[in-house]
Amino acid sequence: MAQQKRIIVGKMGLDSHDNGLRIIAKWLMDIGYEVIYAGLYNTSERLVQMAVQEDADVLGISFLGGEHFYYTRELIQRLSHGDMDHIKIVFGGVIPPDDVVALKRAGADAVFVPGTTRQTILDTMEGLFD
Amino acid sequence: MDQNRKKKSTYLKGEKINHFRSLSGFEYKETYTKSDWDKEIPDPGVYPFIRGIHKDMYRGRLWTRRQQSGFGTPEDSNERFKYLLKIGQTGINMDTDIGTKLGLDPDYPLARADVGLQGTSLSTYEDMRALYADIPLDQVSSTLIVQPPYSAVIMSQYLLLARKRGIPWEKLIGTIMNCAITQFVGPTYQANTTFFPIDLTIKIGLDVMEYIVPRMPRWNIVNINAYNVRETGVDAVQEAAFSLSVAADYIKALMARGLDVDSFVRRMAFFSAAHMDLFEEVAKLRAMRRIWASMLKEKFGAKNEKSMWFRSAIQTSALPLTAQQPLNNIVRTTIQTLAAVLAGTQSIHTTGYDEAYSLPTEESHKLSIRTQQIIAYETKVVNSADPLGGSYLVESLTDQIEEKIWELMKVIEDKGGFIQCFKQGWVEEQINEARYTLAEAIESSDQPLVGVNIFKEDDEEVKINIFKQTSDMQAKRIHYIQEYKKNRDQEPVKRALGELCDLARKRPETNLFEPIMKAVGAGATIQEISDALRKTEGFKIPV
Repeated sequence: MAQQKRIIVGKMGLDSHDNGLRIIAKWLMDIGYEVIYAGLYNTSERLVQMAVQEDADVLGISFLGGEHFYYTRELIQRLSHGDMDHIKIVFGGVIPPDDVVALKRAGADAVFVPGTTRQTILDTMEGLFD
Repeated sequence: MDQNRKKKSTYLKGEKINHFRSLSGFEYKETYTKSDWDKEIPDPGVYPFIRGIHKDMYRGRLWTRRQQSGFGTPEDSNERFKYLLKIGQTGINMDTDIGTKLGLDPDYPLARADVGLQGTSLSTYEDMRALYADIPLDQVSSTLIVQPPYSAVIMSQYLLLARKRGIPWEKLIGTIMNCAITQFVGPTYQANTTFFPIDLTIKIGLDVMEYIVPRMPRWNIVNINAYNVRETGVDAVQEAAFSLSVAADYIKALMARGLDVDSFVRRMAFFSAAHMDLFEEVAKLRAMRRIWASMLKEKFGAKNEKSMWFRSAIQTSALPLTAQQPLNNIVRTTIQTLAAVLAGTQSIHTTGYDEAYSLPTEESHKLSIRTQQIIAYETKVVNSADPLGGSYLVESLTDQIEEKIWELMKVIEDKGGFIQCFKQGWVEEQINEARYTLAEAIESSDQPLVGVNIFKEDDEEVKINIFKQTSDMQAKRIHYIQEYKKNRDQEPVKRALGELCDLARKRPETNLFEPIMKAVGAGATIQEISDALRKTEGFKIPV
């Protein structure tokens, strides 16, 4: 069951638009996920360290300003070097359609863009562990 | 659900909307009559200015078309400014990138990936010179989007540029946003407290205001960013009450420094949102005008009528803009722009229809300007001042909203003012609660959103032009700042930063604007100045 899963949610770099992140964190908590709220200004190093310490199943990162490639590349590399490919990675936020495809190709397990409904998000998350 | 059967029954019954509440929870009545509103109100241009601050409103002068812009290197943004002015923009609205807004240079490790993405990157006086190349500072008004303490650095760069070009400061027209609490992603706590100590932030904001007042009579010393307050998800009443309360805090603080209220308050302005509920937004702005006028006169004892003018810029809210069926956003922003005009604002930014994807492309920027021009020149809604004034509905709603705003302002005042509420986390709680409520309203379709929770197209393939930065922009900026720091004359920089540090430490009550400007003039970067100030309190920032 996804409900027993631990998920770290946060933002990377300097962007601090955290509206979506806060809402998704609450939705996940509401149905029983254990959410660790990493907040703003994270680096890939810090998130991976946290993932190890907290024994997280999922890393969920939100972007807005076009910084997503820089950080997702770094994060995915760090995870695979650390032999942590079992950790699912989920991205969300203002991400253009072509970039969504590219992120998935690069290893994202799911990407949620603005307007995605709660049901779709929760179903997709659940599906990650089937 | 059987789609066909549902459709058939709709044809027969006709469609109905699900409720009649306003976006902020006011119940619209079936009909409004004299029994709802039966009063006399003063004309436009007459205290308390509910009908507008000028007698002739847009007949005398249209609102300023001021599209926010800024991206990439200062040179990139200079190109876009010139393009916007060429196609009919009437004022510059200069946005800085996040690094600049946090007092970080492009080469700071945590800042590198965000350089130039959400605004232009400005570190040095040279950058400001490049940003305003070929643009006459005394002939175009500029809004500089940056909050304290960094507003002191950017304002200094601008003033030094004016001095270098021989333009007297009293001729400069514009605004420094300069609000310590509302500017940066609204009054959210972590964003506004992580990179600089909050009390020193507020103090330097006041220093900037105090410095400008006697020197630049046509420059706005602060612009309360009600728009960013609203965009966190709060309602119209909270937007108004929060922003008016912040302004009240600033007025008190400047008066406590010995300034006469009539000497500065006419240079305080607001930047509000126009959401989708047209009548409510009009009522909100009319109510804010009346509250401001009465607050200044009754509470703060202003004598000059101009001190009682609530002047506002409006940006059309991006919250209801959708990534789904993005062309629908053109319709939304048109209606919001109309609301802003009917409300009697002084300047407008019409948000790009591509907002849910990227910064606006040139094409989208142009469309925003054309939207405003069509409303201004073709619809005739500008021909009379406050065209909705006297409407039973609008007047009654204005009264209702005004009452709620006063109530909430009282709550905030009793808690020690907005800044106090922010520091204690009360504001953060209000915002989070509002965010969840709003998300729930969209999920449940209580707040209908075409393309998202109604009239969805599941297999929609979005075709939209996306704004793209040049690929080497960030590397160029990082290289620039590294070379700059290496090649300048180091001695004056060191001396100026040392003096600033000393002064901030030994005489913390001194106005720090001049020493900051001196450091800018000596060649210091925005981060060097910020770091010098951080050091005085041993303040550490994330790496």
